[in-house]
Amino acid sequence: MDFMNLFVIAVGSILINNFVLARFLGICPYIGVSKKLDSAIGMGFAVIFVMALASLASWLIYVYLLDPATNVWSTPDHPVDLTFLRTITFILVIASLVQLVEMMLQKQMPALYSALGIYLPLITTNCAVLGVAVLNIDEGYNLVESLVNGIAAGIGFTLALILMAGIRERLELADVPKPLQGIPIAFIMAGLMAIAFLGFSGLSVG
Amino acid sequence: MNLGEVFTRGIIKENPVLRLALGLCPSLAVSSSVFNAIGMGVSVLFVLIMSNLLISLVRKGVPAKIRIPIFIVIIATFVTIVEMVMAAYAPGLFKALGIFVPLIVVNCIILGRAEAFASKNGPVASIVDAVGMSAGFTLALVLIAIVREVLGNGTISLPDPSNPVVAMAIQVVPGSFEPILLFMLAPGAFITMGLWLALFNLLDARKAEKKKQETIQASFQRSK
Amino acid sequence: MLVVRLGAILMFITALAASALALINKSTAPIIAENKAKEAQLARMEVTASLGDVTFDEVTTEDGMTYYVVKDQQGSVVGYVGTAYGKGYSSTVETVTGMDSEFHIVGMKVLFQQETPGLGTKSQDASFLDQFSGKLAQDVKVRKDGGTIDSITGATITSRAVSNSVQVLAREIEASVAANKSTVPEGLNLGTLGAENQDEVEPQDGQGGEE
Repeated sequence: MDFMNLFVIAVGSILINNFVLARFLGICPYIGVSKKLDSAIGMGFAVIFVMALASLASWLIYVYLLDPATNVWSTPDHPVDLTFLRTITFILVIASLVQLVEMMLQKQMPALYSALGIYLPLITTNCAVLGVAVLNIDEGYNLVESLVNGIAAGIGFTLALILMAGIRERLELADVPKPLQGIPIAFIMAGLMAIAFLGFSGLSVG
Repeated sequence: MNLGEVFTRGIIKENPVLRLALGLCPSLAVSSSVFNAIGMGVSVLFVLIMSNLLISLVRKGVPAKIRIPIFIVIIATFVTIVEMVMAAYAPGLFKALGIFVPLIVVNCIILGRAEAFASKNGPVASIVDAVGMSAGFTLALVLIAIVREVLGNGTISLPDPSNPVVAMAIQVVPGSFEPILLFMLAPGAFITMGLWLALFNLLDARKAEKKKQETIQASFQRSK
Repeated sequence: MLVVRLGAILMFITALAASALALINKSTAPIIAENKAKEAQLARMEVTASLGDVTFDEVTTEDGMTYYVVKDQQGSVVGYVGTAYGKGYSSTVETVTGMDSEFHIVGMKVLFQQETPGLGTKSQDASFLDQFSGKLAQDVKVRKDGGTIDSITGATITSRAVSNSVQVLAREIEASVAANKSTVPEGLNLGTLGAENQDEVEPQDGQGGEE
């Protein structure tokens, strides 16, 4: 039962409400880093990793420090509502997390760092990461659900990114009208992909 | 560069969305209605003016090493102010924009202007830059929204003059035409954006071509 | 020492930002809360308009759900109002539903939805919501699920979310009412909800078709 619920969340974030193609999150890296398949894969895995960590960290901070119903400052008689600090704490957590991951990778796993390193600084301003943190709270997910949603959102982003990179590598050889070359045609392709992904909205899971 | 140029640059030549491809997420997500597009534009205008101004004022005292975190804190503060004020006074708009209000924090236009302009220029120029860039951003959003709303819903929704925080939809396409729903959905957003970008590319190429012709002609006449 | 100094500067700026926000929050929070309360009250009045001049008594069930018992000026129960939460396409659709004392729907209002832009808003249209009037709340279903409600074109999931959540809400209220009352009205017996309903529902369904 519980597993089914997690499965529904995962399928929802990967296919039905794909972060890029249905929720419009992470469009900048989606257009910017999808020219080459290699870099798309690198970026994708970096995002999955950071999203998973950001989901955990932001959930813990929200529940234990901000939410008046559960945070450590509140007593039943004197709730301390710090939810107005949500945006500012989340973005700071994500920015520091990205820095931390970068430093750790550099020291501990230089091979992985050389593969993902250059994409990490770009992730701070990837709105999909902050987006998933905020959505986890808005949807009222618990810790495990948040983690699953974070990973699934990252997978959904990576899926869209890799598909797009595959298309754009072939587009290089195509005879595209001059004004449409580059970013415009990428958007039109994204539109066609979004139509395909609309098909998943008929899936009724759960 | 004079102030007039700083202002107009953001609207056409360096339009953040249509020329520089920045701030794409909100341009796609909130452009299903003109009213929402304007609401997002005004929110960005406020955040950008305030953050540009503040960053420009403190730019000499900020240690270079922690420049970016400080910018982020400043921007996040103003975004949260927008969130609270909008929730209090324009709850309908707040609901419609949803998650994209807090996400103004990661709108690359704002951090980009802080880093590229406000941290290097005085407060007056920074405000002018902020107004120009947000005007360009709003223009792009409204252009996308007009196409999507007219084709997808047959209406244009503008702020109600008697109560500007509420939308007033004006039917522009006769009700007997079935609207093209696709334009309201995600694919329509992507396709509309792609076509606007292509149009701006085309205009830009024409202009460059014209300029080239003129210089050729001028040099030709001189040589005669 | 540089690290400490930089850390201190960052700390100071963050503290400053947090205090500024706390200050503004203090003045906007009550307005936001008031907006919400006013909106909820207005919605309750709107969906029970056909029941006449009424008052609302808040009831919280053991599971933490809140609903309102609608009473007329003489203090007798004329209906119930509650908010239904249905998982839609991309958001949780909140529908305030008014029912008479026999759980026939008398009014509905979608309070919140963040479904597909343009399509989701259609769930707030009278043409969709009016279909529910007079139907037995526990039995509203979209046509695709064998019910009588026509889905919004292109937004079946939203339509289904609304009708299914209203169904669940009605059942929960019914159960709570039954549990609270010592004299259980006919057909509203808590223990045999499922079975009893099936019988009671059939004639209502036919009535719905005639309308």
